[in-house]
Amino acid sequence: MALRELASLEKYLGLKKPNKYSTQGDKKVPVMQNNNAPPLVGLVTIACHLVKESKRPELLGDSAEGRAVVQQWLEYRVTKLDSHAKEDIKSILKDLNLYLQDKVYLAGNQLTLADVLLYYGMHSIILDLTVQEKEQCVNVTRWFDHIQHQPGVRHHLPPVVVLRNRLYTSRHH
Amino acid sequence: MTKEEVNGATEEEQQAQSKKALKKQQKEAEKAAKKAEKQAKLAAEQQSADEDDFAKDRYGLSAMVQSQQKLDRALVRVQDLTAEKVDQLIWLRARVHTSRAKGKQCFLVLRQQQFNVQALVAVGDRASKQMVKFVANITKESIVDMEAMVRKVEQKIESCSQQDVELHIERIFVISQAEPRLPLQLEDAVRPDGEGEEEGRATVNQDTRLDNRVIDLRTTTSQAIFRLQSGVCQLFRDTLTKKGFVEIQTPKIISAASEGGANVFTVSYFKSSAYLAQSPQLYKQMCICADFDKVFCVGPVFRAEDSNTHRHLTEFVGLDIEMAFNYHYHEVIDSITDTMVQIFKGLRDNFQTEIQTVNKQFPSEPFKFLEPTLRLEYTEAVAMLHEAGVEMGDEDDLSTPNEKLLGRLVKEKYDTDFYVLDKYPLAVRPFYTMPDPNNPKYSNSYDMFMRGEEILSGAQRVHDAQLLTERAQHHQIDLEKIKSYIDSFRFGAPPHGGGGIGLERVCMLYLGLHNVRQTSMFPRDPKRLTP
Repeated sequence: MALRELASLEKYLGLKKPNKYSTQGDKKVPVMQNNNAPPLVGLVTIACHLVKESKRPELLGDSAEGRAVVQQWLEYRVTKLDSHAKEDIKSILKDLNLYLQDKVYLAGNQLTLADVLLYYGMHSIILDLTVQEKEQCVNVTRWFDHIQHQPGVRHHLPPVVVLRNRLYTSRHH
Repeated sequence: MTKEEVNGATEEEQQAQSKKALKKQQKEAEKAAKKAEKQAKLAAEQQSADEDDFAKDRYGLSAMVQSQQKLDRALVRVQDLTAEKVDQLIWLRARVHTSRAKGKQCFLVLRQQQFNVQALVAVGDRASKQMVKFVANITKESIVDMEAMVRKVEQKIESCSQQDVELHIERIFVISQAEPRLPLQLEDAVRPDGEGEEEGRATVNQDTRLDNRVIDLRTTTSQAIFRLQSGVCQLFRDTLTKKGFVEIQTPKIISAASEGGANVFTVSYFKSSAYLAQSPQLYKQMCICADFDKVFCVGPVFRAEDSNTHRHLTEFVGLDIEMAFNYHYHEVIDSITDTMVQIFKGLRDNFQTEIQTVNKQFPSEPFKFLEPTLRLEYTEAVAMLHEAGVEMGDEDDLSTPNEKLLGRLVKEKYDTDFYVLDKYPLAVRPFYTMPDPNNPKYSNSYDMFMRGEEILSGAQRVHDAQLLTERAQHHQIDLEKIKSYIDSFRFGAPPHGGGGIGLERVCMLYLGLHNVRQTSMFPRDPKRLTP
């Protein structure tokens, strides 16, 4: 799962030479073989390295504050999202929905690595939501639909259908 | 301690004791005096009570009405208590809904079906203290006869249906007393769920209501629901009769299961057994073959389905239609949809009070429909679902969640709560459904939906004995069991079609309720056989 993400990320970043990956441990933590240096371990570490390699540092945030927020969300992805239990889904959606109330992107005013990795991480959750549930966490759905339509982001994942109009008005089943 | 001191001590003790004893005696004397005083007072009061009850004959428990006399007394209906009747002295019979005593006054709310009115009695020259006390102690739900003066009120009484007037009680007699402990409180039974949670007040859950159905049916909401249901039946009959349909009665004890052996009740029939009819299907069709041309029937339907859902009952009332047509089964669809539209219009125009009453406890959007009724083809519906991200095959049946989602999509696109889905795949329909002439994968069958839930399943029936036999064989049905059914088509049968709706489901969906037991007076489901 994480390996496919990294492969997609490489494609998005436009990196020509694909790197060699493997996994370690039972949590399948990705490891990247580095030619001269010791191997890089961990999704966030590898992703940040790839971004630097592709010489697009703005994807990590445009200001000091922006960079901090990006790191915060990257950590959120690895700690909260990847090992979430079924009961946590509701709280995850609630938190994200509240946060995204007045934001187009997670950090700052443009697409960052945080958006991309969180999109990969949330995909399976959003895919399983019913139309009604998607309407309830309307900000998450909006953000998700926006990210999945960004050119180049969505490689290995099927698109999730998001309807334009609301089907469920306030007082119904 | 030395002896002297001990002696001294005991002396003191004795002195103290006698002091104590004195005090005790004093106290007892006071107590006795007080008691005597109280008793004297009570006695005096009692005397005065008996003496001063000048209103003794204007209230009390009436003797049981055993038709002792024919009183020529006109009783006014609560719903007629309007400003017109102000300053009139009237008699009425109603239930005591609530009573509230406040010092020298007692307020009653009297209820008659959906209507209620405030009444009051106050200590004065018309009513004695004892009378007010008696009125305050009348148990809730008791039936009373009351003579009262209708008075105008300055401020509208918001909590009653009759807001402009109140009654000043002259005489009041209890005709039938209710036991003081009611199994459920009517105010709780009418409280909307949300309000109950917010204010921490009680609401009554469904099982309690159904166990004590007689009391639950007295609530304004229940009265409104079942009056509306009665309206549906009446509109159904009237509309079809105007279209030239004949009402028929079909047998409910039958020899073969009409819809399949799985969900049928078996009854012992003398030395053998029989079944309770799952639908009047077979007999409706036989009537068409018997030249009745257009028939309908209203009667119970028994389905032994072990489904404990919000929309299944084991016994419900079926409103069934069957008609012969000339050239195309759409004539049948048009007739049925027109009937449904007439019913919806009739409810909308004549039962607004009932609809509003139900909405107070169960808020919902008003029911919307189009004229002419929207008709979609099955393939269109599947396309709409695919667009919304649902994965299903072209010939798959619609699952309940998909039906509901489709209802939402249709509502959003066409703004209607009622529509017809035409040309279902043949594979998911019963054996007597006529296949589509142009595409063997589909059939001339249709379903109708209200608020995204199915209310009617219908089709053009196979009226040719040969084809019917083939279809039955294809579905691996034992031909012996349906021999008489197939025989009815051997002696000339017109092309025909029809469908059946469930009365309870239609009412539930029209009102936007969420459980079919609310629209069934004494519902039957796998877990409930009483009351």
